[in-house]
Amino acid sequence: MGDFKFPYFFDYPPYFTLQPVQDTREKQMQLWKELILRYCQHHKCFIINLEQEFPLFQNLSIQRKLSFEAREMFLAALVAEGKAEWLDKAHKKCLVLWRSIQEWSEMILQLVRDNAMEDGVLTLDEIQSGDESRGTELAGIDRFVLVRALKLLEQRGKAAMFKGKAGDDEGVKFSAS
Amino acid sequence: MGNLFVKKPRVTDVDRAILTLKTQRRRLAQYQQQVEIVIQKEQDAARQLVREKRKDRALLALKKKKAQEELLKQVDVWLVNVEQQLADIEIAAKQKAVFESLKAGTQAIKDLQSEINIDDVQKLMDDTAEAKAYQDEIDAVLGQKLSTEDNEEVLAELAEMEVKMALEDMPAVPDVPMTDRPEAAEPAKVPVAEQAETQYSDIEAVMGSNQKKLVEDDDVDMLDLPEVPSTIQRRKKEAAKARVDPLVA
Repeated sequence: MGDFKFPYFFDYPPYFTLQPVQDTREKQMQLWKELILRYCQHHKCFIINLEQEFPLFQNLSIQRKLSFEAREMFLAALVAEGKAEWLDKAHKKCLVLWRSIQEWSEMILQLVRDNAMEDGVLTLDEIQSGDESRGTELAGIDRFVLVRALKLLEQRGKAAMFKGKAGDDEGVKFSAS
Repeated sequence: MGNLFVKKPRVTDVDRAILTLKTQRRRLAQYQQQVEIVIQKEQDAARQLVREKRKDRALLALKKKKAQEELLKQVDVWLVNVEQQLADIEIAAKQKAVFESLKAGTQAIKDLQSEINIDDVQKLMDDTAEAKAYQDEIDAVLGQKLSTEDNEEVLAELAEMEVKMALEDMPAVPDVPMTDRPEAAEPAKVPVAEQAETQYSDIEAVMGSNQKKLVEDDDVDMLDLPEVPSTIQRRKKEAAKARVDPLVA
């Protein structure tokens, strides 16, 4: 994982201020949306908490950071686009889906196929951090996103989640077809 | 499509067992990490105590560290057992899958074979053999006819050729009668040497006409000529001479 390359506009102070003019604001939003997605993908961030500092939203070298309003606006734009979801009603936590849930579920299926685990059982931990997922994009996936993706697979009849006896082990069985 | 309820894969007890094993494996691994941390801590503590020259406390820390290391080894063994069992379950599952597919395959063969009655097959083979034999017979009969005709033609051709060749040979013989005659006539002529000349001419005449006649006969229709006409002529000559002699004498 190389260093994240910040785009050119990251060093321009104006970009950290919410632009009044409509056209420039739209352009600004577009740039920030892409940047957020790219950043989260690179660092495998899934959740942005607006009440906390997020390294992306400030540039110390130019002494600028995005205001709360600006952040909320950009994230709302992402949600409108479908690339993010609010995790709470108060819009404080945002789940960033730089890959859609659909894409995640496809990746899980691919993992199952590659490892010949059809008709097999995997624990959720294994998918997150086990041998099979090492090196793939699935490694380090957020638990919440994983469960969502598996639920989608359940709907399609490709998987079945179940809990073990002890209670803290969650597993998923994949169908043979 | 239109399925309202898509069937999820059924979770069996085997699956739950696998899940339990995997969870156990994870827990053991986590426990190992904990133990390693404790070991490291004890080691650092022991170092510190040695620096402080508190030998007995240091010794105690080292003993604790040793105990943790033993525990670590034990957990390793458990981990190996758990992994082994997981592998065994997987093997058993795959064996079952292979067995099921082989069973299905055998059933398929049985079903296909049941559609073919072996008696029918036998009858079919017999019919085929019969037809082939009939065909061979026809071939043989056709073949025979042709060869008989061929043979007759060839024989006729051969006879013709022989006649032609005889013709070519024949005219040569009368041309050299003088040399032939004395050799042939001598043995018979010895007792009657004096009348040789007159008889000679008589015989000559008879012989000549005979020969001519023979030639003519040959010309016309001598089909069954044996090989050497000259021998017969010679004999005829001798016979004629024998007849002539007594007549003359």
